[in-house]
Amino acid sequence: MSTAVLSSELRDLYLEESDRIQQAFASTGDGRSALEQRTRLVESILQKLWHEIISPEEHGPSGFALVALGGFGRGWLFPHSDIDILFLHANSDAEPTYRDSIRRFSQELWDLRMKVSPTTRTLTECDRFDGANVEFTVSLLDSRYLLGDRELFDRLHDKVIPKLVMREAQSLVQSLAEVTRSRHAKYGNTVFHLEPNVKDGPGGLRDYNVACWLALISAMDKLRDWPEARTLFPVSTRKQLDSALEFLMSVRCFLHLRQGRDDNLLLWESQDDAAGRRIGTPDSEITDTAGWMRTYFGQARSVYRVCEQLLEEIPAAWSSLYRQFQHWRSRLSNADFSVVDGLIYLQQPNSLHDPEMLLRTFHFMATHGLRLSTTTEYRIEQVLPSLAATPPRGAELWLYLGEILTQPYAADALRAMHALKLLTLLLPELKAIDALVVRDFYHRFTVDEHSFVAIECLHRLRQSEAEWDQRYAELFSELERPELLYLALLLHDVGKGTPNTNHVDASLQAAESCMERLDLDPSERETVVFLIGSHLEISSTLRRDIFEPETVRVFAEKMETPERLKMLTLLTYADIKAVNPDALTPWKAENVFQLYIAAFNYLNHSVDERLRADTEDDHLAQIRALIPTAGRKLKTFLEGLPKRYLAAYSATDVLAHVEMAGRLGKDPVQLLLERGRHWFELTLVTHDRPFLFASVAGVLAGWGMNIVKANAFSNQAGIVVDTFYFTDRFRTLELNLQEWERFKRSIIGVLLGESDLDRMLRERLRAEKPGATKVKVDTKIDFDDSCSTRSTLVQVIAQDRLGLLHSIASCLAHQKCNIEIALIDTEGQMAIDVFYLTANGAKLTSEQQGRVKTALLETLRADVDFKIR
Amino acid sequence: MIKIEASIQTSKLEAVKDALHEIGVEGMTVLEVRGHGRQKGHTEFYRGREYTVDLIPKIKLETVLPDAIVEKAVQAIATAARTGKIGDGKIFLSQVDEAIRIRNDERGEGAL
Repeated sequence: MSTAVLSSELRDLYLEESDRIQQAFASTGDGRSALEQRTRLVESILQKLWHEIISPEEHGPSGFALVALGGFGRGWLFPHSDIDILFLHANSDAEPTYRDSIRRFSQELWDLRMKVSPTTRTLTECDRFDGANVEFTVSLLDSRYLLGDRELFDRLHDKVIPKLVMREAQSLVQSLAEVTRSRHAKYGNTVFHLEPNVKDGPGGLRDYNVACWLALISAMDKLRDWPEARTLFPVSTRKQLDSALEFLMSVRCFLHLRQGRDDNLLLWESQDDAAGRRIGTPDSEITDTAGWMRTYFGQARSVYRVCEQLLEEIPAAWSSLYRQFQHWRSRLSNADFSVVDGLIYLQQPNSLHDPEMLLRTFHFMATHGLRLSTTTEYRIEQVLPSLAATPPRGAELWLYLGEILTQPYAADALRAMHALKLLTLLLPELKAIDALVVRDFYHRFTVDEHSFVAIECLHRLRQSEAEWDQRYAELFSELERPELLYLALLLHDVGKGTPNTNHVDASLQAAESCMERLDLDPSERETVVFLIGSHLEISSTLRRDIFEPETVRVFAEKMETPERLKMLTLLTYADIKAVNPDALTPWKAENVFQLYIAAFNYLNHSVDERLRADTEDDHLAQIRALIPTAGRKLKTFLEGLPKRYLAAYSATDVLAHVEMAGRLGKDPVQLLLERGRHWFELTLVTHDRPFLFASVAGVLAGWGMNIVKANAFSNQAGIVVDTFYFTDRFRTLELNLQEWERFKRSIIGVLLGESDLDRMLRERLRAEKPGATKVKVDTKIDFDDSCSTRSTLVQVIAQDRLGLLHSIASCLAHQKCNIEIALIDTEGQMAIDVFYLTANGAKLTSEQQGRVKTALLETLRADVDFKIR
Repeated sequence: MIKIEASIQTSKLEAVKDALHEIGVEGMTVLEVRGHGRQKGHTEFYRGREYTVDLIPKIKLETVLPDAIVEKAVQAIATAARTGKIGDGKIFLSQVDEAIRIRNDERGEGAL
């Protein structure tokens, strides 16, 4: 037969058969069958050409063979994938003989419009490992005999490849790992893309292959021969991988046929089409796109998990640095967990029946950035059904969850909990966004992954060297309750899972139910509700003119307190950054920060606006509802307090203050001492008098307490509410419960003039060793007359030290200044104290300001001198 | 053909876009930029440190239009972006020699 006739025959056969395969797929959706049929079709064409051009014999000629590699070797040829073939010579002598035939053979295939990638090698060349072309060696792992000298192929398959793999196992594995890790990084190390790539994306077919290759290399290295394919993975893993492979094969086949080219992107239109045609899910009831995509993500997640586990288990013998790192990590082992090669194993396999232990496992993971070993994952999966009957809840669950959220690798722990379906067991509200695709031009990830990425963004601030990250990191370090911010981030978009509603409202509803489950206290709930409810507020304000004072005022008043402003600023930063890697431009980061500064200054400079107890206000209404019986007492108490007072305290706090004020007739000094998570809180309610604030600050210093923050407010009737937040440097209160009473009595004693504060302070200073100054802070004193109608603001910035607040407040009292409001803050070794002052009920004149400034500078200088002496 | 480049307040982008759509201008490029004219910077004090924004965030909008509608577009931009205060921005016009649609090599105004 002439080649021209054969070509035309083959072309007809190829077109007809391809068409038939496509139609069969259209009716059955069976990907594997389509790929196998296409493999056989290509084989039959190769065979006809071989007989025509190379050799009429079945297994001839001697010393020359045709081998299938890559996907063709595996027997799954996708409709538009490359067809990898190897012309294998026994040695280089015969090469020239077949050069022309090989050229003709390949040309014929290209003329049929088949995408053939031919390679010619001798047996010796196949045995050579080339670091720059690892792909070829890897492709040999899938080699399969097609035509020609069978015995030659057997030498390649049975001798050359096993020897090569044993010799180069380490380099092969290392190269594979490097290529795979950088490919994963390109896709943000996550499966959860809104429009995923089913071949190269994490959890795609390439990862399936990598998992098989890694398992194969490791088994060959041990057996010194080809292992049986079914022994590569444990049965449960094998099952998961098989199911994922079937699904991914159908999806990729579908995409190739739909697009008419080697296009592996699962775009939105393709998702609708695939879901409607139940591609890969013929037996399921799912027809909606969201449900179908969930199946996709589920399958991709199992492939990704296996691939990642194998990458992590790679022998640590490559670099001494890596070995040291792993060795160091294994030292993390404790009574509960052992750490081997960065993987967590349980010391007591049955311990997981205790839900606390289960949560501790993820806490351990979140703290150290380790992964769970396969056996640990398996054990967790085993205990979940029994846990589902009575899942942990309430304050205990929140304690663990809050702790997990604040650990540096929280996002990874959350992802692992989510993949094992533990997270949705604990917080079923999250089911609504499990692998949820919400179509949006900007978002890159599914809604759940977006939330994890946002949490990760905040944790990474600390290590980042980018200018903006550092500025936001500083802000983050000032937060009192970061766990509430993280919880808000976890839940902020849950409402996207409720169709046809405003997602913010739906998120709030879900958050309420979540917080009920976690038994958060009312003030914690208020913060989380505020953050979720306002999570679009900054973005919408940025669309206005943020240099316009009115825009700033409206925005700042919605924030109420600097703490909330900080949290919302950080939430917005993380939320934008988690949309896609380019979403947070420096331009946007700067705008958000600019708005933060303007609002922060507004809040600190407008705090003395007075409250009128009869005004209508949500917060006031809430307080009235909580204390309906307080009526008149409440009204008298609130009259004249600054608005900031209400923002600073919860309704429960206000109730306590009203009651304390009611007892003043009996005991003129009312104290409330509580221990918070980060510090102690001392609240004082009493009648105002000169040196009051200074005296309390002095007693605290006398006891060696470090004042971190303080507020002081007074109402029209001259009753003050001062709160001091301090750390107990010598653990006096922490370790001795009986000291609490002595501590309170000593404050009362000083305030009633019964104890000598100066003596107490002198003794303390004598006992103190001068601490090392890490950062030198220059003293700075600024007055601002414009920000309040009734008082003068003074801001004192100075090196923080024991007794500083007492010195400043005493100096102000000596200057006959009344402290209307005090806002005390510490940032590292810098004290930032803001006082709203009046003298004789009016603002300070410029002469008075001058005198106060001189006196303060002298006091602060004298303090330094004293300390040096 | 004329290229219009307009630097405007970020808060005015939506209004300007709407105004341009209304007169039939469909395509435009929007850039996030920073700059200052006579408006100069803006200083805030934060935590005792001076925080100066000497380059103020602005939006730059670019579009190339047939000569016939340029004046209408300029009016639309100016009206929508004007607040009457310093910092409203500027509009620049320049001649464009040729436009080519990459997809089909169409040239001239038809490619706009």
